Amino acid sequence: VYKELDLKKLEPILEEYVLLLTEADVAYEVAEELIEKFKERLKGKKIRRGEDEKKIIEDALREAIYDLINIPGPDLVEEAKKAKAEGRILKIMFMGVNGVGKTTTIAKVAYMLKKAGITPVLAAADTFRAGAVEQLKQHAERIGVPIVTKPYGSDPAAVAYDAIEFAKARGFSVVLVDTAGRMHVDVDLMNELRKVARVIEPDYKILVLDALTGNDAVEQARFFDEAVGVDGVILTKVDADAKGGAVLSVAATIKKPILYLGIGQGYEDLIRFDPSWFVERLLGE
Amino acid sequence: MLEGVRDAVRKFLRSSADYETSVNMFVKELQKTLIKSDVNVRLVLQLTRRIKERALKEKPPPGASRRDWFIKIVYEELANLFGGDVEPDVKPKKIPWVIMMVGVQGSGKTTTTGKLARFYKVRGYRVALVAADTYRPGAKDQLRQLAERVGVLFYTEPGDDAVGIAKRGVEWAKKKGAEIIIVDTAGRHRKEADLLKEMEDIAKEINPDEVMLVIDASIGQQAKPLAETFHKTTPIGSIVITKLDGTAKGGGALSAVAVTGAPIKFIGTGEKLDELEVFKPKKFVARILGLGDLEGLLERL
Ligand SMILES: Nc1nc2c(ncn2[C@@H]2O[C@H](COP(=O)(O)OP(=O)(O)OP(=O)(O)O)[C@@H](O)[C@H]2O)c(=O)[nH]1
Ligand SMILES: Nc1nc2c(ncn2[C@@H]2O[C@H](COP(=O)(O)OP(=O)(O)OP(=O)(O)O)[C@@H](O)[C@H]2O)c(=O)[nH]1
Ligand SMILES: [Mg+2]
Ligand SMILES: [Mg+2]
Repeated sequence: VYKELDLKKLEPILEEYVLLLTEADVAYEVAEELIEKFKERLKGKKIRRGEDEKKIIEDALREAIYDLINIPGPDLVEEAKKAKAEGRILKIMFMGVNGVGKTTTIAKVAYMLKKAGITPVLAAADTFRAGAVEQLKQHAERIGVPIVTKPYGSDPAAVAYDAIEFAKARGFSVVLVDTAGRMHVDVDLMNELRKVARVIEPDYKILVLDALTGNDAVEQARFFDEAVGVDGVILTKVDADAKGGAVLSVAATIKKPILYLGIGQGYEDLIRFDPSWFVERLLGE
Repeated sequence: MLEGVRDAVRKFLRSSADYETSVNMFVKELQKTLIKSDVNVRLVLQLTRRIKERALKEKPPPGASRRDWFIKIVYEELANLFGGDVEPDVKPKKIPWVIMMVGVQGSGKTTTTGKLARFYKVRGYRVALVAADTYRPGAKDQLRQLAERVGVLFYTEPGDDAVGIAKRGVEWAKKKGAEIIIVDTAGRHRKEADLLKEMEDIAKEINPDEVMLVIDASIGQQAKPLAETFHKTTPIGSIVITKLDGTAKGGGALSAVAVTGAPIKFIGTGEKLDELEVFKPKKFVARILGLGDLEGLLERL
């Protein structure tokens, strides 16, 4: 009553999956490799006669993707509470390429912490981009959290350092460091980021990634992880109807957890990442 | 990976396999490269189907080898993707010329507004910028700082009446004798109905000569539906691809060209105000294909 899956016959279906994943913005090389490995897993697999092969494959694929992206990551509210209880300062640095949503995400994280009873200090360490300081300042005012700034052109590491000194002196237990957007291939700017990290030794270095990103997600994740080290990823603009295949690209490339998703421009629009939800979004209709 | 199509071309030109097999192999490689460059998957499949058809049906002109001819077909079809290989005309067709910047959040509208101000100022035009993004914190400060740096006229108002600010800003700029007036608007995407409505209203009020869609080079498959929605809301007149100084290839912009019929006019190659270039189609195809010496190859044909 059992028969082996006929992989030859299934080849077109599997190729179709590569395209389907690519259309959901999974990087092509990641989709291709995933399906290659998946084929290995299917080899020699026996199924009951009369069972729907397509369904079996789809379920198995869901499982494979789930396994890949199910990387446990920290809950920043819990981490902040712990730090507060232990009298330390939780230092979180946000980084990423230009315009992905770092500053807005910091505002959302600040809001989330504030709601949980912990007031973070913001460090305006983007001293480069026009309007960057005013942007973060307006967020700080609206949310009601302190912010440390320096004039444009100041050393970002010095701003971050000052913010930590400020937090120490005033008894705050979380510092969120905003950094300027930068291209991952810009060596000078990546060195600048490393310097910030060296000076403040963040507990978490968070890579912010835009859900609309296609194949480049792999490159961004790889370069930031190699140059600075990535502890977790936040994917923004998921509300833009993006399938967010970048989640898979990142998980496959640097094997770091996705912590939160940005789902709008409001302060409440930050949710925890749920792997099953994501698999549904990716493969479900 | 970058070498994909270069190798494929080389292999194709030298292959001892029969023509049809070589074409099929080449087409497969081309598909991969284009998809990796974020060109829309369906667009890629259409394109390669057409290339294959032509390659097997058309006869090369006398003197040209079938294989060289094939490469030319490939190039032509690719050039068609972005409306031909002519360089865009960036001169205003009348004075004053009103440009309205639109695009998804963070694509680079405000920065490009500053760059365009510089571009046209350097060429002798009197430029005014209008900050009508009432949504993003710091957006008006950002544009004001850019306008100051470039040294051009600047208009905004406090408050959140984006339509009113745009309207009064354009009127003010005209009175001031501005020849190029650029209106920066908030970022928005195709699921934000209120914001799309706002964009439509701004366009109705200021009646722009050119709506410029700003596209991030790293955008993936969403480029197509996004551009479609924008085009439906306010017909797109031109396209700018930003952030080509990273590793992203910018293939998403080709979907925008395909659905809007608008030409790509400029590319952004850095954060600084002078890092804006007039779009060069051949250079761009070469980048998408990972080919450096496309010019040389074409001259032979
Ligand atoms: N729709 C939507 N927009 C978002 C989201 N996150 C950020 N944005 C928008 O994206 C744009 C860019 O956000 P920023 O926070 O300024 O991005 P950034 O990474 O700090 O940019 P740079 O500092 O210039 O590199 C803004 O218009 C934000 O409102 C999100 O989850 N959904
Ligand atoms: N590296 C690089 N960065 C760019 C380029 N163009 C814009 N940027 C950066 O991209 C980020 C976002 O640019 P903005 O001009 O604020 O984008 P926007 O579309 O106005 O964003 P919203 O108003 O929030 O929708 C900034 O950090 C810019 O400096 C470019 O060509 N290359
Ligand atoms: Mg920022
Ligand atoms: Mg803007």
